[in-house]
Amino acid sequence: MSVRPADFPAPFSPTEVIAAPTDPADERIEVGVLIVGAGPAGLACAIRLGQLLEGSPETAERLGDVPIAVVEKGKQPGSHLLSGAVVNPRALRRLFKDRPELGQVPSYGDVHGEAVYLLTKGMATRIPPPPTMRNHGNMLVSVAQLGRFLGEQAEAIGAAILPETDAQKLLVADGRVQGIRTGDKGRGREGQELGNFEPGSDIVAKVTVLAEGTQGHLTGAAVARFGLEGPDPQLWALGVKEVWKVERPLGHIVHTLGWPLRKRAKYGEFGGSFIYPMGDDMVSLGFVAGLEYRDVDFSVHDVLQEFKTHRLVRKILRGGERVGWGAKTITEGGFHSLPKRFHAPGLLLVGEGAGLVNVPTLKGIHYGIESGIMAAEAAFRSLQRGESPSRQGAFDAYEDELRASYVMQDLKSVRNMRQVFDKGFFMGGAFASAMTITKGKLPLKDYHSHPNADHSLLTSDRAKSYPAPDGKLTFDKLSSVFLSGNRTRDDQPNHIRIQRQVPLELARMWEHMCPAQVYEVGEAAGDGTVTVNIAPSNCVQCGAITAKGGRLTPPEGGSGPEYTLT
Amino acid sequence: MSTLVFLEHHGNELQKGSLGVLAKAQALGGDIAAVVLGSGVEALAADAGRYGASTVYVADDQKLEAPLPQPRVDAIAQLVRDKGIETVLFAQSILSADIAAALAARLEAGLNWQLVDIAAKDGQVVGKQSALGDSVLVDVGWTSTPRLALFRAGVADPVETGGSASVEKIEVAFEEHSLAAEMLEQAHEESSGPSIEDAAVIVAGGRGLGAPEGFGMIEELAKALGGAVAATRAVVDAGWYPYAAQVGQTGKNVSPGLYVACGISGAIQHKVGMQNSKTIVAINKDPNAPIFEFADFGVVGDLHQIVPKLTELVRARRG
Repeated sequence: MSVRPADFPAPFSPTEVIAAPTDPADERIEVGVLIVGAGPAGLACAIRLGQLLEGSPETAERLGDVPIAVVEKGKQPGSHLLSGAVVNPRALRRLFKDRPELGQVPSYGDVHGEAVYLLTKGMATRIPPPPTMRNHGNMLVSVAQLGRFLGEQAEAIGAAILPETDAQKLLVADGRVQGIRTGDKGRGREGQELGNFEPGSDIVAKVTVLAEGTQGHLTGAAVARFGLEGPDPQLWALGVKEVWKVERPLGHIVHTLGWPLRKRAKYGEFGGSFIYPMGDDMVSLGFVAGLEYRDVDFSVHDVLQEFKTHRLVRKILRGGERVGWGAKTITEGGFHSLPKRFHAPGLLLVGEGAGLVNVPTLKGIHYGIESGIMAAEAAFRSLQRGESPSRQGAFDAYEDELRASYVMQDLKSVRNMRQVFDKGFFMGGAFASAMTITKGKLPLKDYHSHPNADHSLLTSDRAKSYPAPDGKLTFDKLSSVFLSGNRTRDDQPNHIRIQRQVPLELARMWEHMCPAQVYEVGEAAGDGTVTVNIAPSNCVQCGAITAKGGRLTPPEGGSGPEYTLT
Repeated sequence: MSTLVFLEHHGNELQKGSLGVLAKAQALGGDIAAVVLGSGVEALAADAGRYGASTVYVADDQKLEAPLPQPRVDAIAQLVRDKGIETVLFAQSILSADIAAALAARLEAGLNWQLVDIAAKDGQVVGKQSALGDSVLVDVGWTSTPRLALFRAGVADPVETGGSASVEKIEVAFEEHSLAAEMLEQAHEESSGPSIEDAAVIVAGGRGLGAPEGFGMIEELAKALGGAVAATRAVVDAGWYPYAAQVGQTGKNVSPGLYVACGISGAIQHKVGMQNSKTIVAINKDPNAPIFEFADFGVVGDLHQIVPKLTELVRARRG
């Protein structure tokens, strides 16, 4: 009998996280514009708003003591950010137009050269970079460092940043979004109040901007609440990356396709690697694979370890030392999975959470920033005298502007590229070339996709090829979690919703899938099912579980990794 | 250079940790004073002389009876002002951490915490602080005086110098807001053996025990050795042993003389909580377990046979 993760849905309903405000009116925290998530999109939105309010003190005054607030579940902006990353500087240039900040953006320089390889176990064949993967003139950054920088700029221009604050519920009343409720702090494992218990608060706002990034906890609920689902389900990939100190500078960026992924369509293994220089003495390398894979023993963390044993990679890392590790999902449904609308009364959706990621070009950060800027301008317009953010059509201009922008044109031209890789690596590759050459006009028909959790599981000898960790080149999951800086309090309530008694295949799939060793196959019940043991405090909040049958919710604010170089 | 060490006391005894910090303070040279704050504490002050303080300031006041931080902030702030003290040192405890933080705010002074050592170098005071999960030691300094420092628990033992201190009584002018809090009740956690932070010997159990019942033999061995029982996160997570016994990154940090790790693989998350133990003995059936890389003595074998035999032998030796 074949098992599908979707047949064992998480004990979770989006309606659980939609509520009306409960704090008495005089105890609610009132802000002007509330932004959820201090990533590139949310912070760009805060910065642009700050710029607009600088030029319009009367609007700022109407917004009260805290005109702009940004809540962030990590210890600081950037703590939970992880990406390659090669950034198209276009949106940053618009954000900091004619301002000195543009010259201060933390960067490891521009991309000067690139190489794409098709790998087999023993060989690396250099192939011409597909047009979507040409990066000349783009910037190399650590998005964790970029997040910290943007956080400082947002604060400098008047935004209040509330770190270690998780947005647990979306406040909706009278048909419009009113703000969020933050999570409680100081609860014990069974939910009991500990000595340092602090209840969450209602933060109410005139406009709420969800900029939660991948697997947005409230974004998903808002899409369901306001019926914003797009034509196709959303899809995700999982990326695991490491940062290495190396002896020799790399000089150019590297992408690889092929090994250690298996080519046959039935395995559903789609993805590749990146290796980017970070100055002369560091490189960032990672492996990304679509979560539609089917093998119960598939593990992106272990595939990355395997990948590092290839001659091509060994040569780059020789004599080096691993100094960073992290994991995160990437939204990759693309154009067909975008929400129907990017707004609802009182609410704006921006960035990766809204699906604005271009998988074939491996870009999304500039779309995040661009949509953040547009959302700021829309929020600002709606707050002018005689306007109202809850008026029907108040945010229509945001929708129009976003849809008319290069962001949407880019996404549309690559709309079928990801989907056709369901046909396997070579057929997919052929289709992808046709799409690129015709700028998306071919194929004439659109390809659609199935949710990641709908693919039935299969078992092979996948795990055999994973190398045993040697602590020098290859590493186990626990020491990697340690390197992520994660020191989540153990005795807090479990934030991961899964069914705890499931078929062995499913439990084994979760165990291998999770890069942070959260799940473990437990005792067998004798009927083919097993108990799933979980260690929630290992969690680095990558979000893979949500794509594969479970549901990640935010743990107590301040939990999770402390990324600094990713 | 003048240095002041806050001596914390419980009942009629000065805390070992703060006397240890007094020993560390000697490295700074100059005048090393100590301060004892409480009610009916004069006799304690004389004790401090034997551990290296040249002067002991004593504030004996009913208002200092309850272990509350704010009145103590008043007292120490006053000493810093009146006696021209440049450096104030504390040993880690809940009370001392509260006082140190509040004092930093009151005096707008810099506070370095989790120090493992302190020294004077070219006229500067330099603290050693462990960072990145104890993988490196970094030098930390201060850009202004007074300098405040909080030492990590268990980093220094008291050293008897045989000296004697001149005891100076002080009167504290309390701020009104400092007396606003009141101690209503103090409750003590009942525990049978020594707490794991103070224990000289710790026997710890991990997943290799196989089942919660495995802790029976761990407790037996701990009892025979006069030590305490600790556990890894995995077994605490699984509900085999209480959280209070958890050692590691997200549990307690221990440094006993002897740490016997039974069925513990030695993941780095556990290692950072116990690697400062003086002697580490590991019993594990997996010869590739990482714990053998940092244990002083390793036994590869079945702990279910080894631990009970070891307990027997210890009992026989101890009579």
